[in-house]
Amino acid sequence: MMADVILSVRDLTVEFQTPDGPKRAVDNISFDVHEHEVFGVVGESGSGKSVTMLAVMGLLPQGQARIAGGEVKFRGKSLLDLDTEGLRAIRGKHLSMIFQDPMTSLNPVIKIGSQIAEAIGLHQKGLSRSAIRDRAVELLGSVGVPNPGRRFDQYPHEFSGGMRQRAMIAMAIANDPSILIADEPTTALDVTIQAQVMEVLASVRERTGAAMILITHDLGLVAETADRVAVMYGGRVAELAGVDEIFAEPRHPYTVGLLASLPRLDASSSEQLYSIPGQPPGLRGRPSGCVFNPRCGLKRGRERCETEVPALREVAPAHAAACHFSEEVGDWVREVAAAKREAAL
Amino acid sequence: MTDMLRVTDLHKHFRLGGGFGRRAEILRAVNGVSFSIAKGETLGLVGESGCGKSTLGRAILGLQKPTSGSVELDGKDLLAMTKAERQRQRPRMQVVFQDPYASLDPRMSVHDIVAEPLRINGVYREARVKEMLDCVGLRPEMADQKPAQFSGGQRQRIAIARALALGPELIILDEPVSALDVSIQAQVINLLMRLQKEMGLTYLFVAHDLSVVRHISHRVAVMYLGKIVEMGTRDQVFGAPAHPYTQSLLSAVPVPDPKGRETRGRIVLKGDLPNPANPPSGCAFRTRCFKAQARCAEEVPELVDRTAPGHASACHFAGIHTKVC
Amino acid sequence: MWVASFLLSAVMLLIVVMPLLPIYDPYGQDLSYGLMAPFEHDGDKFSILGTDFLGRDLLSRLALAGRVSLIIAVSAVFISLVIGVALGLVAGFFRGIAENLIMGFADLQLSIPRVLLLIAVTAVVGSSVLNLTILLGVTSWVSYGRVARAMAMSLREREFVLSAVTQGASPLWNMWKHLLPNVLPQMLIVGSFELGQVITLEASLSYLGLGVQPPLPSWGLMISEGQQYLAINPWMSIFPGLCIFMLVAGVQFLSQRFTKEGDQDLKMATRWSKKPA
Repeated sequence: MMADVILSVRDLTVEFQTPDGPKRAVDNISFDVHEHEVFGVVGESGSGKSVTMLAVMGLLPQGQARIAGGEVKFRGKSLLDLDTEGLRAIRGKHLSMIFQDPMTSLNPVIKIGSQIAEAIGLHQKGLSRSAIRDRAVELLGSVGVPNPGRRFDQYPHEFSGGMRQRAMIAMAIANDPSILIADEPTTALDVTIQAQVMEVLASVRERTGAAMILITHDLGLVAETADRVAVMYGGRVAELAGVDEIFAEPRHPYTVGLLASLPRLDASSSEQLYSIPGQPPGLRGRPSGCVFNPRCGLKRGRERCETEVPALREVAPAHAAACHFSEEVGDWVREVAAAKREAAL
Repeated sequence: MTDMLRVTDLHKHFRLGGGFGRRAEILRAVNGVSFSIAKGETLGLVGESGCGKSTLGRAILGLQKPTSGSVELDGKDLLAMTKAERQRQRPRMQVVFQDPYASLDPRMSVHDIVAEPLRINGVYREARVKEMLDCVGLRPEMADQKPAQFSGGQRQRIAIARALALGPELIILDEPVSALDVSIQAQVINLLMRLQKEMGLTYLFVAHDLSVVRHISHRVAVMYLGKIVEMGTRDQVFGAPAHPYTQSLLSAVPVPDPKGRETRGRIVLKGDLPNPANPPSGCAFRTRCFKAQARCAEEVPELVDRTAPGHASACHFAGIHTKVC
Repeated sequence: MWVASFLLSAVMLLIVVMPLLPIYDPYGQDLSYGLMAPFEHDGDKFSILGTDFLGRDLLSRLALAGRVSLIIAVSAVFISLVIGVALGLVAGFFRGIAENLIMGFADLQLSIPRVLLLIAVTAVVGSSVLNLTILLGVTSWVSYGRVARAMAMSLREREFVLSAVTQGASPLWNMWKHLLPNVLPQMLIVGSFELGQVITLEASLSYLGLGVQPPLPSWGLMISEGQQYLAINPWMSIFPGLCIFMLVAGVQFLSQRFTKEGDQDLKMATRWSKKPA
């Protein structure tokens, strides 16, 4: 049984102002996030995954980008209709965000403790100073910062990268939000520290029951933590399904290529990696039709890929893909694998 | 087989602070590293940030003067020779850096960038530049453009073409794919492997991404706080890691396969990297190690073959990981 | 932006186009027509901006003086730019003793007020256009040197310089091929700021009688000449003053514009690679 939908995004379109007029960074995307789940959003640079989340949070850079259409609903309430005041009341309390670089998202001249206390004070008015401090110290301890009482009075530069990210998490969960949006939370960290931070996030979620949107370029991270996954490419959702289905039976040629181009620790290493030819499109010069068509191995010269934008449609139960020929993907993968085996012999 | 590169007991220390009556701290960024790479081989050098792997690469290249030790290129000690002689050896050893944005002069055209090493050494031929661009899969008409017009992956190809121009035998690859997107990363890895096969190149591949290192390397060395803690063939290090640090590093890498993720054992290390200027006594890893005993604080473990011939590790309790907790 | 273009084109009109028109000889004296006000008719003589105490036409003299001032200023800026870039690059690239010496010298020079220094040196070597130009050039290299040194210090750590080193490039090669082209645009911005300074400085020195010597006019000199007649015909000082203001203000506005664009240029050039976001 599916849990209730907590965040619903419908036909969201975000335009950026460029010297050549407005360009769509995010183009008509829709997805739902359910209560308590981990929703992974995977994509390469320029895929629009971070922009989508900034739009949801109402944090798009003013004057440069605007929401050109669509709807974002949090528990049935539209976020896009809210004024700044209303948005502020939701931000931090119900929806909170963890950014990639904890060095730039923490204010370097304010003590870590005061920054967490500020986050608490914003939404829990009427708490005494000492109560806020106790809560902040407790939060620091709960994300695994040793000596939280002493650490409370330190500045960000006295924290290591991993500790800073823990402090960010403490700030983000200060008001028990229902959704945590984590934008590349561990990209700036080493693997052993990444493992620590992901463990902290998991324990925090277990305690608070918050849903999490995990934005990342790391397919491994998604495979290990997400329940459902959206694969984004060129500002659109290419594929959307449960994590097991995406990895076991991808139904979009881009997902197939992405998985095949990963060097793996767990598989025997073959001589050559599959590589998707060409470059991901920038904001300018997005191809017509399917954005992936110039790099696609399944296109086989078919005109429809260039003329018609494929809709994100259900190709299997709870498995959606935006490809005209999604049904051929399975055969194509086997064909390519067979050809590769033959070449190896 | 002869060794293309042999590094013996290399040290690179930095003085930190000091002055005004304060004692200067000594940061041992590279603290007694020895290894060798055979001709045509790839040695992967893995470690997390701050372990000294990039400093090691730069010391080998002569960009930073090592504090002590020797670097032999094809049997000749680079540190013992005169400056002029060393300058003559330079074309044999080239480098590709991590950041394809910082490594190309923004005011030069692609042609001039690739031609630069040839011009420096007075062997410029236009045909050679064309050949190099072709070699890395760039079209000849791209030669007149400036780097700003290229994406990260293409820039890295330009940097590779420049490194190849003088016909080097050894290339030091300093995180060459870690700034690239997944789909582009695979293109560059394939290119590097093809070039190695065609030209018989020797690689020192410095990286923090274990999956990439496993894919491209013949042998692997793992660094922690300025020292190599484990070294062996790829299958030895990845298949039967002997040092607890390697074991935890491997177990920390997320596997892109959701099957069985609940049952996968993971060693999560305690704490952060200790201050490199003030490392723990004995084994530097002991403060985070799940196997640490009293002996580890007193005795520095030597890097010697412990679990198999040719598979060296620096741990008193080296061996197949047995889950402690 | 349009303010700057308006001011500068007015000045250019005066010093470039004006001498091509049939105007009076800037050296032509006629005491009987001395100290005419602008637009004044005196018999058959008509002068647009009036005349000075020797009856020389102010418009013609302003045009000539503008050329003199501008040539001095531009040459001085060029001299200081060359010295500043050379010393700055050497200091920033080699660091160590060279840097300590060069920057120590710069601090020493800055600790002596510039006008005082110029007065003292002119008193010894004598005043001429050539001496003035060289002196102005030699004494104003410090701002170029500072910026060039700072940029060289960051550029020498950049991978494209390191890569050239591994290919066997000499320090001279790196400074010429990599440092100079990347530093030059910034230097031109500094130069445009300095140009205004140098023009004012030249005017002050000429005003004090230590710069351009009569009968050759310069704007500063013309102000000083007009000083004695301020009560009778103030225009003699007002017009050259106005010219200095227009040129300096125009150049300043323009250089601010450059700085804005230069910042973007610099940002592009030093763009740090981003992890996939």
